[in-house]
Amino acid sequence: MGSSSGKKHKKDKKHSHRSRSRERQRATDDDVTLDLTDDSTSTRHRHHKHKKHKEHRHKHHKQKERERPSEVISLEESDSDSSDCVEVPIEQVVKAKVRDLSVKEREAPTREREPLVRDASGREVFVREREPSAREREPYAREREPSAREREPSAREREPSARERELSVRERETHLRDREPPSREREPSARERDHEITAPPPPQISKHLDYERERRREREIERERESRKRAIKERERMRGNSRSQSPIAPHQVHRQRSHSPKGDNSAGRKRGREREPGRERERVRSRSHSPIPENGAGDVLSIAETNKLRAKLGLKPLEVDAGPSKAAPSTSSDSQQDSKKTGADLSSYKDEWGEFLHKPADNIKEKKEAEKLREKLKQRKEKRFLEERLARIRTLGESDEETDNVSKWVDRNKRVVNEREEALRKAKELEELDEAFGVADIMEQEKQKARQLAYNDRNLKGLRVEHDMNDFGEGRTVILTLKDQDVLNEEDGDTLVNVNMLDDERYKKNVSNKKLNPLSYGYNVYEEQYDELGNPIERSILEKYNEDLEGKPQKRKNFVIGENVEEEREHRRKLLEIKTKLAGKRLETLEDTNLKLASDTFSVQELATFKKPKKKIKKLRQKLKAEDLEPIDELPGSSNLGSRSRSHRDANEDVSMTDEVKAEIKLENDDDDLERVLSKARKLKQKENLIQKSLPIDVASITHNVKPEPVDETSAAGEMVLGTADSNIVLNATAEFCRTLGDIPTYGMAGNRNEDSNDMMDFDRDEALDEHMDTNMDEPALSHGTWNSVNPDEVMQPADLDNLGDDVEERAILDEEPDVGAGVANALRLALSKGYLEKEEKNRPSNTKMAHLQAKNYSIEDKAAGEDDKIGRRDRFHAGPIMDFKDKETFKPNVKLDYIDDNGRILNLKEAFRYLSHKFHGKGPGKNKIEKRLKKMEQDGLMKTMSSTDTPLCTLTMLQQKQKETKTPYVVLSGSNKTTAGVSGASISKFK
Amino acid sequence: MIEITCNDRLGKKVRVKCNPDDTIGDLKKLIAAQTGTKHEKIVLKKWYTIYKDPIRLSDYEIHDGMNLELYYQ
Repeated sequence: MGSSSGKKHKKDKKHSHRSRSRERQRATDDDVTLDLTDDSTSTRHRHHKHKKHKEHRHKHHKQKERERPSEVISLEESDSDSSDCVEVPIEQVVKAKVRDLSVKEREAPTREREPLVRDASGREVFVREREPSAREREPYAREREPSAREREPSAREREPSARERELSVRERETHLRDREPPSREREPSARERDHEITAPPPPQISKHLDYERERRREREIERERESRKRAIKERERMRGNSRSQSPIAPHQVHRQRSHSPKGDNSAGRKRGREREPGRERERVRSRSHSPIPENGAGDVLSIAETNKLRAKLGLKPLEVDAGPSKAAPSTSSDSQQDSKKTGADLSSYKDEWGEFLHKPADNIKEKKEAEKLREKLKQRKEKRFLEERLARIRTLGESDEETDNVSKWVDRNKRVVNEREEALRKAKELEELDEAFGVADIMEQEKQKARQLAYNDRNLKGLRVEHDMNDFGEGRTVILTLKDQDVLNEEDGDTLVNVNMLDDERYKKNVSNKKLNPLSYGYNVYEEQYDELGNPIERSILEKYNEDLEGKPQKRKNFVIGENVEEEREHRRKLLEIKTKLAGKRLETLEDTNLKLASDTFSVQELATFKKPKKKIKKLRQKLKAEDLEPIDELPGSSNLGSRSRSHRDANEDVSMTDEVKAEIKLENDDDDLERVLSKARKLKQKENLIQKSLPIDVASITHNVKPEPVDETSAAGEMVLGTADSNIVLNATAEFCRTLGDIPTYGMAGNRNEDSNDMMDFDRDEALDEHMDTNMDEPALSHGTWNSVNPDEVMQPADLDNLGDDVEERAILDEEPDVGAGVANALRLALSKGYLEKEEKNRPSNTKMAHLQAKNYSIEDKAAGEDDKIGRRDRFHAGPIMDFKDKETFKPNVKLDYIDDNGRILNLKEAFRYLSHKFHGKGPGKNKIEKRLKKMEQDGLMKTMSSTDTPLCTLTMLQQKQKETKTPYVVLSGSNKTTAGVSGASISKFK
Repeated sequence: MIEITCNDRLGKKVRVKCNPDDTIGDLKKLIAAQTGTKHEKIVLKKWYTIYKDPIRLSDYEIHDGMNLELYYQ
């Protein structure tokens, strides 16, 4: 920047000036020394005075403000220049001049500060140099500010100091101009001017800042113009003067004199104090907290200005009262104070940035100290109290007047004796009086009553003690207390216990419990079954849990106080004697049990006691199932009549029923009512028959019944056979099962199935429905092949399993035996038939070939039927692990687990493990291992293929061959390798 | 209220009074008002940290009397 370089330049200049001026001053000091004795003192003075000057300056500001109310000068601007004020050496406080001066100062920009920072002597030189010119210049100043000028002459006239002041002002002026050195005056001044004029007015400020600022700038510009004029004039002057600096002395005198009038100085100071404006103070206060040193600051706005600015920017005003001077930068020093502050200060809990302020931690040391102090005080207090009390007590050594004095002691003793006698006498008198009035008797009686009422051993009678009597030894005192009991439980009465004895008992019981074998669950087979008297001990099942489950304690040995204890004891003793006599013997009564014949069945009495488990009445399913066809009614005279509605009947019901219905339908055509009645009667009759007949379950009887049936039917030729007993068919589960296998295709058509006799009862009820149903059923009934149809030809087929089995067997045996010689197929067939070979399909036990082995009266399905009833269809597959899996009895698998490696080789145990392990870990064996194993395998293979009579390379045969060829008993072994290929046939080379 | 000194080392040195809860943007405006540069052109820095406009001074832990570097963009 131009300005800075300019500054530097100036500085250099001034340095040179300064050095010169010093020399000069030394010379002049010798010459003219008026007031000043020493140079150093003068400088001191200067500095001293300067402060005053500062005040004055401010004062003058004020004055000016007063004079020109429109022109409000903010002190901030000049403040920044305060530094150069400090350096101003000698100044007499003259109001008018200083006003001028201050104006000048203000006009001087901040940049001018720097060159001025130097000692006073340098300044003096300038003053001396510029002295004449300053005087000449004076009028300009006067011109500029008329008011100041007006005052000036008067001041000059008034006192000599006025002149001095004038002088000082002049000095000032010169000093100001000094900055532009005479030789190059033009340049820097121009530059400065440029800067000041062309310096872009701060846009924000120009917009926002207040009026006074603008005014100030105007003023500055004005002043600038003046100064330029001045500079031009000066230059002219300089040309004329040719820089002569001869008239120094008078000026110096002036300057020196300026120091002397201290009275004036002090007066000025006073005035300054008087006038010290509030604003100034405020400014100082507001700045005081700032950590930035005053002179180090750049451009500064006051709080008010800043607030204005902020308002324009739309910001909230500064928080002045929350002065950071207290807390912000110097928190470290203040923190200690803060910690000492009480809660009132802490209640804010906010630091200066509005953030949460933590409560300072308590000082433990202080706390402890306080505690200690308090303790000490307390101790001292107690001590004092004790001392006081002790002070009141008379010690042995202390002299006692009463005891020391013999006569007094005697007197006192006498008095005591007298009193005692008196009391006795009085009591006697009273007694006599009582006797006289009969009071004594009453008293006696009451006493006796009270004694009677008192609780004694009589009251203990009848109390129960819950301990074994033997636990109470003779001559031992046991304190018994009332047992804790339910208040409402009156019947038990009071019981006495000893707590310690209870504990003992509990302990004993615990010990005995611990002794029990934990594996036997407290059940001891060898437990005594007879007590010591030989009576059998009654034991309930799992009585050891009684206490735990029911909460009732086991019967305890107890006794009642006052109840023939002695007798009891005697009795016991006797019993014990008997017991000892009988020791090792057991009493057994012969009449213990009356002998009875063992029977499989219950007697009537027993039956009465026997409780049947209540059968749950199963809710009937609406859906039809094959299970419904099971012969529930096979039990003779089963009373489960009427529970099964007709609607349950399957369409695949037996033939007789359909026939019945058919007949009914037929009959219906004639006379409905009559027929219905008749049929009903018939059915009832039929039912009666059924009941009376008590159908046999066994198949043999059925076959007997069935046999004649076809004859009947054929003879009747479609006639109804309702009345016959043959129409009752026993539905056999086994037969049903066999029918489904298809090996007996004719069986299903046999029609020898049992009808559900129970259905008869409510036949009438759902007749209409049945009609409908059965008509529907007619169609399938007629169609051939279904198991409902009746094929008279095939009725001849025996439905009996016995016969069936025989038949099948017969067929199997009598089958045409295939000719083995004809071919392999026939042979195979034969083998199959003979059972040398087994076909897997035929391996099933349910196969027809094995049908003869089937149970005749029992089948697996029968068993399943019962289970199904219990479990239900759905549960059959969800029964889960509760049902244990039943193996087929014939199923004996031959399981052999072989491990095969990738080459199909069967591995032994070790190898298999290794193989699996490698697979599992995903990490095979190393290369070497693999090679080794391969080699081994190879060798194994070779070993296997190796002939036992020759070497692996067949050298022996080769040898023999060679010998045969050569017809020599020897063979020449040549050692050359090269011959191997060519002569290999003749000689045996050494391989390997 | 805190006072912050901003210095571009080219001759502009301003002392700005502001609140700790002002944002950097506000501070820039204040600086702009005092120096006469546009506030958008101002960059405030402390060493290599460029202070961002929407952040509050307290969040940057700018305390009373701190010196900020003033740059222009």
